[in-house]
This record gives sequence, C-alpha cells and structure tokens, in this order.
Amino acid sequence: MGALTRERDVREAYAAHSGELYGFAVRSLGDAGLAEEAVQETFLRAWRAGDRFDPEIGSLRTWLFAILRNVVIDLGRARAARPRVAEGGVEPSVEPLEQALLAWQVEEAMRRIGEDHRKVLLETHFRARPYSEVAEELGVPEGTIKSRVYYGLRALRVALEEMGYED
Amino acid sequence: MRTDDHRDWKLSLGAYALGDLPPDERAAVAAHLEGCEECRAELRSLEGVAALLPLADPARIEQPTARPPADLGARIEAQIAAESAREGRARKRRRLRLGFGGAIAAAAVAAALAIAILPGSSGESSPAQKVDFASLPKGVSIDATLEPHAFGTEIEMYVSGVRSGTLCRVFLRDAKGRTYSAGSFRYRWGEDSHAVLSSALDLSQAKVIGVHAGDRTFMAPVDQATALVGGAGIDAT
Repeated sequence: MGALTRERDVREAYAAHSGELYGFAVRSLGDAGLAEEAVQETFLRAWRAGDRFDPEIGSLRTWLFAILRNVVIDLGRARAARPRVAEGGVEPSVEPLEQALLAWQVEEAMRRIGEDHRKVLLETHFRARPYSEVAEELGVPEGTIKSRVYYGLRALRVALEEMGYED
Repeated sequence: MRTDDHRDWKLSLGAYALGDLPPDERAAVAAHLEGCEECRAELRSLEGVAALLPLADPARIEQPTARPPADLGARIEAQIAAESAREGRARKRRRLRLGFGGAIAAAAVAAALAIAILPGSSGESSPAQKVDFASLPKGVSIDATLEPHAFGTEIEMYVSGVRSGTLCRVFLRDAKGRTYSAGSFRYRWGEDSHAVLSSALDLSQAKVIGVHAGDRTFMAPVDQATALVGGAGIDAT
C-alpha cells in the first residue's frame, strides 16, 4: 500500500515537505515563480505515481526530492533556449544539480543551527577571519570561539542527518 | 590522561578538521590523536561535515529560508481533486466499453502507464488510436489519442517539455495534404496539460497529425491500418 494514494496523504506530505522542496527549487531555478511551478508539478507527479511509493525502500522525503530533481531538470530543459538543444546543443548536465542539492542542504543546515554557532562558522570559516579577531568582536575568549566551531560542526552534522545526509 | 584534558583536545577537533589551527597546536592535537581512538572517531565525523562546507554560499546562508506562497498547497489539492474526479469518470467509461474482463486489464494498464484519459463517446465500442510522435527533441513529449466520431475526430493530447505558455495549434492532414484544424490550447507548466480537441476530418481519412508549438511544428503519421481495423463501421452514420 503506497503512502500517497489518497488526497489526504498528499496534504500531509505537502505540510511536511513543501518548505524544503520549495527552498531547494528556488535555489536551483533562481526564480520564485518557477519554483512554485516545480513544487506543484512535483506533488502532482507524486500523486499520480503514489502507488509506486514504497516506504520500505526509502523515505517520502527522499522520494519527493528525487521527483523534484527530475522536474527541475525538465524545467531547465524547457527553459533553456529550445532551438539550441534541438540543433544538438549541450544538454544541461545532471551533476551540477546533485551538487546544488547538497549545497542547499548545507546552507539550510547552517540556517538551522544556533545563532552563536552559525555566526562563528560564518566569520572564521567562510570569511576566513582569525579566531582572535572574531573573539574580540564578540567579546568572548578565543577558546570559546574554538569550542563554538566544534559544537557548530556537530550541530551541522545533526541537521544534515535530519535532512537525509549520510557519509 | 585526565578527563579535562581529553575534553580540551576534543574541543580543538573542529578547528583541526577545518584546518584552522596554527602549526604548533595542530602538531599537539595530531599527537593526541595518535593515542586516542575516541578522538579519531570524532574527527572522522567532523571531517565529513567540514568537507561539505565549501559547497555552501555564505550570502545564501544569511538569507531567510524561502517559503512557498500560502495558497500553493490549496492549489495543488484542487488540481489533484479535479484529476481524481476525471480518473473516476474515465474508469467508468472504460468499464462500459470493455466489459467486465477487459475492465480489469484496462485498469491495470492505466495504473501502470498513467496514460491519457480517453473521453469516449457514450458507451460505443469505438476504439481510440494512440499516435506515436517518434522523432521529438530530447525533453519534449507528445502523446495523442485519436477517436473516431460522427462529427470527425476527437483528439486527446498530452504535451510536456515545451515552454510554459506556448500556444499549441493542432491539425490533421488528409492524403491530399489538406489541413484540418483541430483547435488550439496553451501549454501551462504544472497545470493540467491534457487538451481535448476535435477536428472535422474523419479519422479514416487522416494521414498526419501535427502540432504547431510556438515556432516549431511536430508531426506524426496516423496509422490507418490500426484505425480501420478497430474503427471501421462504427461511426458510419
């Protein structure tokens, strides 16, 4: 028995996952309107194929992301100047999209961890500022910055695992 | 080793994994790792995450999480409800058309392929013909089902992979090359993309079905052999 065969199942799936799906769609399509279309199409396709979803094989979330991934590829193709593709132009490759999904997950995980940890990781790692400088700015000992980096990475890992990441 | 020391080492592992430690501290942590299995395991776990960090864009991290419009869920539900209702009607028609044994097979086929719904005439056994658009550009797909009627031909069409908003004009062509319009529809991405059209040309006379989609035209042959075998006599009014 699939989990998406009734209209109520779709409503529940939407409530649980639409935010993430939309967030990723916005990131990879760069356009809120297109992202909306992509999410809509994803749930329609999921519903049409609802009896093929098997919770024994993978989570609903993973399944929906897999559908969205295909929708984004289709949409990218449809949007890319079609005549060029028809004349033998290069097809949009699949790899950047997988990477975009991972990148979005890391960004989303960063948004989910505590403000203190996010701030320290942003300043030290992404902006490459020395720990001492960040410590002074925040008015805490340098050792605190170091431990926030540690707990920040751990929190990030938990957030990523919640989103299905495993290494 | 005292527990406090161990904890201190552990707190350095984040900076170690990210390569942020000055050389002397780095060497000291490395020496501790040599003899501490627990810290080595912790480091492996942190390194997995640290390796992913370069993928992220700091500017995006600081943007608020994008939220879908409040009414999107309701729009999706409405669309699914409409599709669901159409499915139910189509199933009933198929049962009428094929009899009890056939209905099971038809339901299985419909479930497996999710093919276009066939809006039939009122219970007559007029078989529909599925047309194969063979040579389409990658990403574009067109399915058409043709059904003979007294008025001419009913065409159910399903298009995907063209630009949203594209105007699609459908036509049939007979053996002499005369074109018969079957009407037009606009392809909307994510919206119901089944279009039901009709043309005055009898299906038995149709040789080609075509779609002008924006500035491109796609055509496919109509297989008269199939159409005549199934459709002969049925609409001979």
